[in-house]
Amino acid sequence: MKLVISAYTATCAAGTGLSALQDSIIQRRSGLRPNDFPGCELITWIGRVASVEDVALPEGVASLQSRNNQLAWLGLQQDDFLEAVRAALQRVGSSRMGVVLGTSTSSIGRTEEAYTKLDSSGLMHRDFLQPEVHNLHSPGLFVARALGIQGPSMTISTACSSSAKVFATAARWVSSGLVDAVLVGGVDSLCLSVLYGFNSLELVSSNPCRPFDSARDGISIGEAAGYALLTRPEMFPSTSFALLGYGESCDAHHMSHPHPEGKGAVLAMRRALVRAGLDASAIDYVNLHGTASKVNDQIETHAMEQVFTAPVHASSTKGWTGHTLGAAGILEAIITLEGMRHDLIPGTLNCEQPDAEFGFPILAENRTARLQVGMSNSFGFGGNNASLVFGRNDD
Amino acid sequence: MIELDVVGAGAWSHHFGNWQDLALGLSGKGWREDVKLAPGLLTPAVRRRAPVSVKMAIEVMKQACDMASLDPRELATVYCSAMGDMQITDYICQTLAQNPELLSPTQFHNSVHNAATGYWTIATNAHSPATAISAYTYSASMAFFEAAIQAADEDLPVLLVTEEVQAPPALRFACPTNAPFAAAMILAPVSENLPAIARLGIETRAETVKWMGHSGLPDQLVNIPSANLLSVIATLAESQSLQEPRRVRLPLSPGTHVDISVTASAASRRYHA
Repeated sequence: MKLVISAYTATCAAGTGLSALQDSIIQRRSGLRPNDFPGCELITWIGRVASVEDVALPEGVASLQSRNNQLAWLGLQQDDFLEAVRAALQRVGSSRMGVVLGTSTSSIGRTEEAYTKLDSSGLMHRDFLQPEVHNLHSPGLFVARALGIQGPSMTISTACSSSAKVFATAARWVSSGLVDAVLVGGVDSLCLSVLYGFNSLELVSSNPCRPFDSARDGISIGEAAGYALLTRPEMFPSTSFALLGYGESCDAHHMSHPHPEGKGAVLAMRRALVRAGLDASAIDYVNLHGTASKVNDQIETHAMEQVFTAPVHASSTKGWTGHTLGAAGILEAIITLEGMRHDLIPGTLNCEQPDAEFGFPILAENRTARLQVGMSNSFGFGGNNASLVFGRNDD
Repeated sequence: MIELDVVGAGAWSHHFGNWQDLALGLSGKGWREDVKLAPGLLTPAVRRRAPVSVKMAIEVMKQACDMASLDPRELATVYCSAMGDMQITDYICQTLAQNPELLSPTQFHNSVHNAATGYWTIATNAHSPATAISAYTYSASMAFFEAAIQAADEDLPVLLVTEEVQAPPALRFACPTNAPFAAAMILAPVSENLPAIARLGIETRAETVKWMGHSGLPDQLVNIPSANLLSVIATLAESQSLQEPRRVRLPLSPGTHVDISVTASAASRRYHA
């Protein structure tokens, strides 16, 4: 069953809210900055959202204080998204809306801080005794409680594919009759775990990331919050966009290295196309995972060659936003939708010279084009892959 | 109503080494002590790097597949744990607090919630989809529901695994697990070809219900969010000896629950403890 996307919003280093994000895209202005994250000494560039620290949580959820939840709240307040959710809740009833978010960090930044202030018995200081914060489901708990959503809520945490897989789960929930609407999305925030963690794997660049560039040398870590509201078409018939298909797979290769032939990526894309009932030639734009790691980008172009026998406009937008990990799926799905909304394909920022070894063309510059169908791909650690297909809801 | 068969099950803790031990314990016939994890599917080199959470999950997943005589490559996987690997979280946060540059890359890539499914799909060469979820106190029921929906939607068997590791002191307040445990079951579309432990009839309802405890569980597993799935497993075990269907209700959210009717199947008598 096709679901329509009746509202969406995104907040990342390149912009708080859609209009700021689109402006950055048009102006080719990266949101990355030299690392100034407190407590992190690494020489790197990060995609840090402005003023997250200043966000005050509403009274009913103040006890869920964490930087990740502050970012979650900042994101919810953009683009009249809160109003859209409240209107949908009125229509379907609060038990008939679900929440499925993706995250990799959740609020571990808060746990990190708590561990610097353990008492003499190794236990957490009173201020940090927040059971609903120090666990993976914190963003889902936070969003559901902040918005008064009483339906089922779940967090998916499969590294970089997390907030793409949420669309698949939402489609299954609605089609099962469990709920009539699902708030999907993802929130990941900068924290020492991911900064030092990816650094320990030697995957981080000390410069702004350059996806698909011949001189690329690693990722730039970013943070983001993004959300979308999915419902049956009959509920919002004049909605612009729909989820046409999704595909999920595993690489079955290595925990931190993709399958050398891109086997899982190819499977995920093909499954999404089958579910959408479309041939690869129907896709007008692909938002690539394109992290700027030496290995991912090379393998991803190989996967694209296998699925797309005719050229298709394809780019990575991580030069604007950084790699937002658990939030990458939703952020890049929304960037794809925005491309369709504005008839403007974002190119690959920071890609000056695509690697000559690639057998697949990468779009570096922005390009005006009318898009009917877009695809967004997210390929994560542990070889967990998701591919999404979006189209115009004008059948 | 979704109808599915449970065609395989696995379980592990220090008190039960497999589903049959669990069934025996739940029927009051006593618990084992100090059960160790079998070497399983992982090569020695991988075993050395893999955390307990991965080894436990793989153990129970393998048990379920062996019982069902199913190739792992034919199954999608749904993994849940309420807290993720708290031992690794503890290591990471301690290391970051003292000397962040020493953070182990292996521990870091093991910290992803989908580590267990990653290692599993690598060991079994399975390209089918896998997910890893948490819903805090609703983890096991949401995972069960996700697995059931995927099985119905894709018309394929789904391997469901739930686990929790022992809580380190600093995180006990959020989840007081005193010992690790894992459990798995395979939900498959109804078929005459696969012998089943039990048949399930699954429906969701908009009604608040409380968690069903099970008085037969070892003390340390009572009130652990992920162990709530064990009430389903307990009912599976009990259904072996009963003629009429049993019913289990698992809360999905404050206002909804999943209602599961459990019927013994004719083939299930071979699994009776």
